[in-house]
Order: sequence, then structure tokens, then C-alpha cells
Amino acid sequence: MNPDVVAGISRLRREGTLSTEQAALFSRVARRELVSVRVEIRALLYLGVLLLTSGVGIFVVEHHADIGRWAIAGSIAVASAACLAWVIRSSPSFAWREVESPSVAFDYVLLLGLLLFASDLAYVEAQFTLLGPRWAHHLLVVASVYVVAAYRWDSRVVLSLALSTFAAWRGVSVSVMARWLGSADGSELRANAVVLGLLYVIAAMLSVRLDRKAHFEEIFGNAGLLLLLGGLVSGVLLSDLGWGIWLVALLVVAAAVMWISSRAGRAAYFAEAVLAAYVGLVRLLVALVGDQATGLPFLLAAFLGIGALALVFATSRRMAGR
Amino acid sequence: MRPDSIAWERGAEVRAAADGWTRAGAIDAPTLEAIRNAYPDPGVTPSAVWRVLTAVMVTAVVLCTFGAFVLATRPREVGLSLLLWFFGAACVVATERLEVSPRFARRGAAGAAAFWSVLLFLGGLGLLLHEIPAIRGEDALRLFLLMSALSWAAACWRWGSPLFAGLSVASFLVLLAQVPFGRVLWIVVGVVLTGAAAQRLDDGALSPSQRRAAMVVLLAAVAAVYVALNICSLDQDLLQRLRPLAPQRVVPSAVLFAGAAVATAVLPLGVLAWGWRSRRTVLLDAGIVLVALSLVTLRYYVHIAPTWAVLLVSGATLVALALAIERALRRAPGGEQAGFTTDALFSDDRGQRVLQVVAVAGTLTPAATAAASAEKSFVPGGGASGGAGASGKF
Repeated sequence: MNPDVVAGISRLRREGTLSTEQAALFSRVARRELVSVRVEIRALLYLGVLLLTSGVGIFVVEHHADIGRWAIAGSIAVASAACLAWVIRSSPSFAWREVESPSVAFDYVLLLGLLLFASDLAYVEAQFTLLGPRWAHHLLVVASVYVVAAYRWDSRVVLSLALSTFAAWRGVSVSVMARWLGSADGSELRANAVVLGLLYVIAAMLSVRLDRKAHFEEIFGNAGLLLLLGGLVSGVLLSDLGWGIWLVALLVVAAAVMWISSRAGRAAYFAEAVLAAYVGLVRLLVALVGDQATGLPFLLAAFLGIGALALVFATSRRMAGR
Repeated sequence: MRPDSIAWERGAEVRAAADGWTRAGAIDAPTLEAIRNAYPDPGVTPSAVWRVLTAVMVTAVVLCTFGAFVLATRPREVGLSLLLWFFGAACVVATERLEVSPRFARRGAAGAAAFWSVLLFLGGLGLLLHEIPAIRGEDALRLFLLMSALSWAAACWRWGSPLFAGLSVASFLVLLAQVPFGRVLWIVVGVVLTGAAAQRLDDGALSPSQRRAAMVVLLAAVAAVYVALNICSLDQDLLQRLRPLAPQRVVPSAVLFAGAAVATAVLPLGVLAWGWRSRRTVLLDAGIVLVALSLVTLRYYVHIAPTWAVLLVSGATLVALALAIERALRRAPGGEQAGFTTDALFSDDRGQRVLQVVAVAGTLTPAATAAASAEKSFVPGGGASGGAGASGKF
């Protein structure tokens, strides 16, 4: 029970702000007489999908010699088709606006079907070498199928998986950012991250401008900015030569993102830009002051932080005012 | 907590509930306006993103200033302790000043300053205890843990953060593990804390954040009882690892092992039943996690089937169970059964959506091709735990 909300509902009912029916329903929820288990069902489905795909993977690795390639590829394909058939049967018709999922389970059955399809494709490619030396391109096929599925069935989850798979095809692993940031072949990965980030940001802008699945904007936007700003920050921190150019690029991009996001009311984009710019400027301070033993770079970094705080306070107030 | 802060929190609870009613279309804009007028917000409460960003920047300011002072003065151990305490005290003053101001109290800065005040104080205390030769290592550790438990508890009581409550209980439990019969103490204290916290969960005399702190204490206490009773924890003597200077362990009797095995099976079901009866979803979630841990423990001791079979069966069972519950609730009269429903009710779905996207992209994304070896290969499921794969060995 939430005693503050229960007391508030009683007062609002007494004062006539809420009707008797409204107060009765709200009070049931506040007193925990009616509880939603939507999150718990989603968590069970997510864990189930995770365990199932892991189990299929281990089974294939351990028994591919006993069972045979065709039998394994065929059985995974049948399981994937069964999931996708259920999705097709129960899905509402396509629309460019946001479409409500028919059930809590819908997204996860779709996810399971697509993951099984991807596992099957990876297995087939590994066994039958359809793409030859360009074997890594199967990830591009998988990402493309994910994108089509995300748009057709209006799934944010599948779209996020599509974007991270597309990034993985270009060598950028979103789930283990630290590894690629510090890898030996950092420059190529950095360039890939920056280009991919720009593509995703453009996709976010087009989603809104053309009003085509405009609610996907936050997925495209956040993935794009993470890659774009992450790539630029890694250039500033890890590039031995020309880090100044990376810094200029970072500050220009961060300033543009801050300006646009503060006008558009997107707090997450603004936060990502502030943090990236702060890291870049601290690198500049360290380089300018030189002698770190005096502690002066730290002091300047603290002042810079206070400046960033003032900017954050001012912008959040301006956004709240709008 | 200050009476003003408690009043702001209580008003914020009603305003947040009203926002949920509006999102669900249960009230119109004029009604929402009337509720906001009845429960005015004297301060500024930005969204979670702004609060986290502010906390990160405050952290950067505190740590950079401290680093600058350390490098400029280069103090020895005792001097460093005093410097840590000075900065801790400065953070306390800053927190109190911020808490008084409606403009700044709920922006994330006060929470970050409070956190660093306790951490810096404890850092100074740890260094000082290490420097005093009269205090033996084990006693110094115990004293440090006791002060940690008390400091976090005091901070929670004063500033109301549930995180501080969790850190206080964790410190206290690690302290109990340092003494003989630590396992028994974990069970006894865990049960006592569970009972005490359960009674305060709906206590209107506490502020909303203190009630949330009581929930954190309850969960930590249940976890402590489970860890103390779990058969694997007993077998591997996990609590002993929290006591590095302890004497050699005594192998427990067979009766004790049997009792632990029964407790490992029964306790999660008890928590689930408690959650079901009280309709507290947090307890249901805790029960589900404990059931999963007990099943993993069972698999560790009893090899009923190969790993892939266990994963497939448990995954299919979870999906089937979730589908069955959803179907049953959807088809029930009014979409509810025994007080449970699959409707979102008036909760904000946005945070859950972000978690969902992060979890899926983080665990089911395939490994990057450039990071993989040039050798063509297939990895089970592909990513960390699933998806299509292009790396690893086959």
C-alpha cells in the first residue's frame, strides 16, 4: 500500500476533484488490491528466450556430428518458422504509426523466431559455405531481416537488435564497447563507428521528419549517438596522432547535439553530448597544462565540471519550462 | 529527514500517481491541473536522465578537487585521512545546503554529495585504522565495518536514500561474517530484519524514500537468510571467504547438509507464496530469482540431463509458464484474477522499455566480425547468449 497516495485519493474525492468511480479504481491500485504482473511476465519471457537460444546453440555444437547437418538446419528452421507463423497469425495489420502489440508475449515470440532464424543461417553458412570468403556478410543478411521484421511488426526490441547486429557486421560490438575502443586495430573500427553513428542519427531524423515509425527515433538516435560520440571520444583519448582533429570534431558534434536536443526536448541526447564533451575537454586540459604533478589539471577539470553543472541546470530548467 | 523534504516527497507521490492516471486516460487535463494545484511542487524535479547526469558531474567535481588537493599538498597517511575527512565534511555541508533549497534538493546533486560524504569519511577512517599499530588487523576491519554500517544507516535516516540502506545492511552482514557462528548470526539477524522491515513497508509515518529503504533492507535480509541456508554456500563455505583471517573450517555434519538442502528448496517457495499472498511484486521477483538459484544449485549437485537439455527444457518451461499466466489473466473476468492483471495499470512503461532494449541488445547481439578470428566458424547462439554468430569455435 502507498499510504500517501491512499490519503491523497481520499482528500481529492472529498474535495470533488475525483469521481467516486475514479477514486475507487485508483484506491484499489494504491492499496495493492489490484497489481500488474506485466514486468514479471516480460522477464520470464526474456529469460526463456535467452535459455532456449543458448540451449539450441550448445546442442548444435555438441551433436552436429551425430545428427547430421541437414537434420539440424531443418529442425531449427522449423522451430523458427513456427514462432514466426504464430506472429504472422496474431499480428495486427501494418501501419506507419505506432501499433499496439496484441499481447505481452508477442515481442518475445517474434524475438525467439528471429534469433532461431539467425542461428540457423549462421549454422548453414558455417557448414555449406554459401558466401565463401565473404562469410561475415551473413550478419548483414541477419540485420536486414531484423530491420524488416522490426518495421513490419513494430518492435523496438528487434530494431535495437538489428542496429547492434549491423554494427557487429562492421566490426563494432555494441555490447562490449571497451574491447573495440582499446583494440589494436582501433582506427578502422573508430571510422566504422563514426560512419554507422551518423547513419543511425540520419535515420532518427528521417523517422520524425517523414513521420514513418516516428517512435523508432529514440532507438536510432541513442544507438547513433553512442557510436558517433563513442568513436570520437576514443579518437581523442587513444589516437596518438591527430587527437586535436578528433577533439575539434567531437566538440563540434557535441555542441550541435546539445543545441538540437535542448530545442527538441531530448534529455538523453543532451546528457550523452555533455559527457562526451567533458571527457574531450579534460584531455585538452591535461595536454595544455603539461605538469600534472601540481594538480592544476585536476583543479581545472573540477571547474570545468562546475561549468557543465551550470549548463545542465540551465538547460533542464529551460526544457521543463517548455 | 527534514519535515520539508518529507512533505515534498509525499506530494511528489500523489503527483506521480496523477501523471500515471493521465497517461492511462483515466483523468482529463483539468483534473490533473486541479491535483497539481492541490499538491503543488515548490521545487524543481527533473527526469531521471538529468538527475543521473547531475550526479555524474558532481562526482567528477568532488573527485577532481580532491585529486588536485592531494597532488598539491602530497600528505602522508594521517594527513591524507584528515584530508578525506575534510572533504567528507564539506560534502555533508553541501548536502545539507542543497537539501534546504527547493530549487536544488531533487536534482541529483544532493544525493551524489551525500554518497561521497560517507565514502570519503570511511576512506579516511580506513587509512587511519591501518596506521594505528595498537589496533590489530582483524579488529580494525571489524571497527571499519561497524562504522560503515552505522554511517550508511545514519545517512539513510537523514537523507532517505534506499541505496544507503542497502550499503548499511551489506556492511553489517559482512561484519557478522567476521565473528564465530557468522552463518547462524546471518540467519537470526536476517529473520529479525525481515520481520522489522516488513512491518514498516506501508508505514505512513515514514517518508516514501524511507519506505523504499525498508524494502531494500527486506530484500537484503531475505538474501542473507538464503545465502546462509543454501546448501552450496554451506558446502563451499562461502561466508568463510568474507573472513580471510579466520581459522580452518570444520566440515559440517550430514544432518546439517540435509537441513540446508531442504531449506534451499523450501525458502524460495516460501518467498514466492509470501509475494503472492501480499501481492508485492518485489517479493514475487525475489522469489523467482531464488527459485532459479535453487534450480542451478540442484543442477550443480544432481546431473539429471546434459546442459543443452536443461537449458532447452527450462527455457521452454519459462516461456510456456509466462504464456499460460498471460492467457489466464487476459481471459479472466475484467482481465484480473486474485488481484493480478497484465494491464500496465498506471505505471510508466518508458523505463521498462529502455531496460528491455538494453537487455536484448546487450546479451543477444552477435560478436563483432572484426574482433573474431579470420577463421570461419560458428558460435552457439552467436552473441554472449544468443543470436546469430560468426566467431568462436565449432
